[in-house]
Amino acid sequence: MDHFPTNWGRPRNDAHDAFNTYPLHQRPAPHTDTFAEGVQRTQQPIVTGTSVLAIKYKDGIMMTADTLASYGSLARFKSIQRLHAVGESTVIGASGDMSDFQYLQGLLDGLVTDEFTAGDGDALGPAEVHEYLARVLYARRSKMNPLWNSLLVGGVKDGESFLAYVDLLGTTYTASTLATGYGAYIALPLLRQAVEGREATLGADEARRILTESMRVLFYRDARSLNKFQIATVTAAGVDISEPIVLDTAWGFAEGIRGYGGQTQ
Amino acid sequence: MSIMQYNGGSVIAMVGKDCVAIASDLRLGVQSLSIATNFQKIFPVTDRLYLGLPGLASDVATLHERFRLLTNMYTIKEEREIEPETFAQLVSSTLYEKRFGPYFIEPVVAGMQKTPSGGYKPFIAATDLIGCLNFAKDFVVAGTASEKLFGVAEGLWEPDLEAEDLFETISQTLLNAVDRDAFSGWGAVVHVITKDKVVTRKLKGRMD
Amino acid sequence: MPDGSFAHPQERQFNPYSENGGTILAIAGADFTVVAGDTRQSEGYSIQTRYAPKVFKLTDRAVLAVNGFAADGNMFVKKVKQRLEWYRHAHAKDMPLRAIARLIQTMLYAQRFFPYYVYNILGGIEEDGSGAVYSFDPVGSYEREACRAAGAAQALVQPFLDNQIYFKNQQPPAGSSHPVHLPLPDVLSIVIDSFTGATERHIEVGDGLEIFVILAKGRSTQGFDGRSGVQELSTTPEGDRVFVIRRELKKD
Repeated sequence: MDHFPTNWGRPRNDAHDAFNTYPLHQRPAPHTDTFAEGVQRTQQPIVTGTSVLAIKYKDGIMMTADTLASYGSLARFKSIQRLHAVGESTVIGASGDMSDFQYLQGLLDGLVTDEFTAGDGDALGPAEVHEYLARVLYARRSKMNPLWNSLLVGGVKDGESFLAYVDLLGTTYTASTLATGYGAYIALPLLRQAVEGREATLGADEARRILTESMRVLFYRDARSLNKFQIATVTAAGVDISEPIVLDTAWGFAEGIRGYGGQTQ
Repeated sequence: MSIMQYNGGSVIAMVGKDCVAIASDLRLGVQSLSIATNFQKIFPVTDRLYLGLPGLASDVATLHERFRLLTNMYTIKEEREIEPETFAQLVSSTLYEKRFGPYFIEPVVAGMQKTPSGGYKPFIAATDLIGCLNFAKDFVVAGTASEKLFGVAEGLWEPDLEAEDLFETISQTLLNAVDRDAFSGWGAVVHVITKDKVVTRKLKGRMD
Repeated sequence: MPDGSFAHPQERQFNPYSENGGTILAIAGADFTVVAGDTRQSEGYSIQTRYAPKVFKLTDRAVLAVNGFAADGNMFVKKVKQRLEWYRHAHAKDMPLRAIARLIQTMLYAQRFFPYYVYNILGGIEEDGSGAVYSFDPVGSYEREACRAAGAAQALVQPFLDNQIYFKNQQPPAGSSHPVHLPLPDVLSIVIDSFTGATERHIEVGDGLEIFVILAKGRSTQGFDGRSGVQELSTTPEGDRVFVIRRELKKD
């Protein structure tokens, strides 16, 4: 007879003498205990993408990201696409964990398909996609199991252009110029200076030039970046994601730099 | 809790029209326990120059004595009294001497500075605990209620206040700031310095 | 120290919270309430956006300001609005202010062990027509007050409000007493001064200011109808009315 009432009705545990007073016997834990397996789900990003930049301009929005997916400091995959079209009027760009991003692409593509099969003629716009992502990311952070990304969502619907940010905490905001990661420190000031107050007049060529120059600056200063990037354009006509663009780079100036070690005199 | 908050206390100085004011609370505490309600943190240096020393009480005593020595030596050598701006530099270098083992004090200097034409102009300054000088044109604050002092002073202060109005402004600023600070309060003292006199008033404040 | 090498095992705890700066405040008058907040959203030293509203109209007589972790704040407002809509469907009227206050306390306390990292200030008109402010801590402690500041610059603004609204440390002239409630123009001036002061001395405050004014039923717009940037938000001109005044703050 088991004299410990707490054990009644539970599976037997023969690993110890339940009748001894010391050591205190282990009560068999209920199988449903959330903490039983010492849950390990708070991950860390593994294969990562760096900055995404985006601006509003006359005809809609323009977004850019390079094609590198890093494994720590290793440039692991050099031709990964980090810009993704969702439906006919939205594009998202991701920095952070690439596998989490690809999982989100799967979710969004499923969502777009579901919306299409409804056959009611309604389609998801950028605002709806952003709201959905914000809900997913906030819900995952609330389960202490985040999707490790900073995302930009941009698009045009019903003549309105939309540009917003959402990250692994569920934090959201909108502005006419946005940047994630290192870009928020290095490129965003350049973008703000070039774009703010000119959103309604800025042409596509000028917008593309601003983003290209910002990507060049990022390539020179961000060690996890690549001089190969894509530019996504969303206008009333739809989404266009360019083929990869490769920037010419010049390192001649490095000869003249003194004071960072390396040289002998 | 930092040593800067161990004894509590706050000081503020403001510039007015041909006058300056410097004020402090009177509390001495040991963390949340109040020990005394008459702890002096502002000291006269010359007839037209006052020094506030909020921070660690033992360092208040040490630095007060140290600056008394230094200003006396200055007076003997130079055969004249030290000017506020010169004294502010003296405070700064004295604190920076102890850069890697500092006195836990954030001094505030307020006085009337002699001009080349023979007149006097208001002067205030404050430093951090290692002597980084801040010459402000409006007001300086220090001590455990510094954030609150900034907020109220930013709302109440205006340029060119006459001595009596400056007294009211600095008093209201200090009293309302320390009432929201657990480590400052228990009465206050205000000195209004003009070129020919100093008016010192003790203020009754909330004693809780 | 995580140095990027694989020499030592690394442990990195995910932190589900962040702080997004900004400041909010609310002041109750006799027959009006003013609720205000700046529009800067920041993280660390980065300004994320210069326009992210922190003050939200809930009903024609209730306005809620939320400050702290923006993601929690937005989610909390969304859920409060949903509960108010359900109430409307069940009772065919707007929930009274004091009931909204209790609802907010219940919703906050429900998350006692994984709190919304948010300071709430609820302002509006009570059923008796008086202006009211309710302030909350992140886990639901609340009280009704005449004025309250919260957020990054709370320490700067609250003592100023003590002095200007409650007349703390001020002696009334002999034979008279301080007013219990200030008129609307005075309150608006104090709100604007509070935010320009906080903007001057706090890096997380600035960019824009949104001042919501809730007027009790039948009260005239006297006090701010001369002002620029005023927009009415109420659904009907009879009953209590809500207005918003938008102003610029320094952007540095």
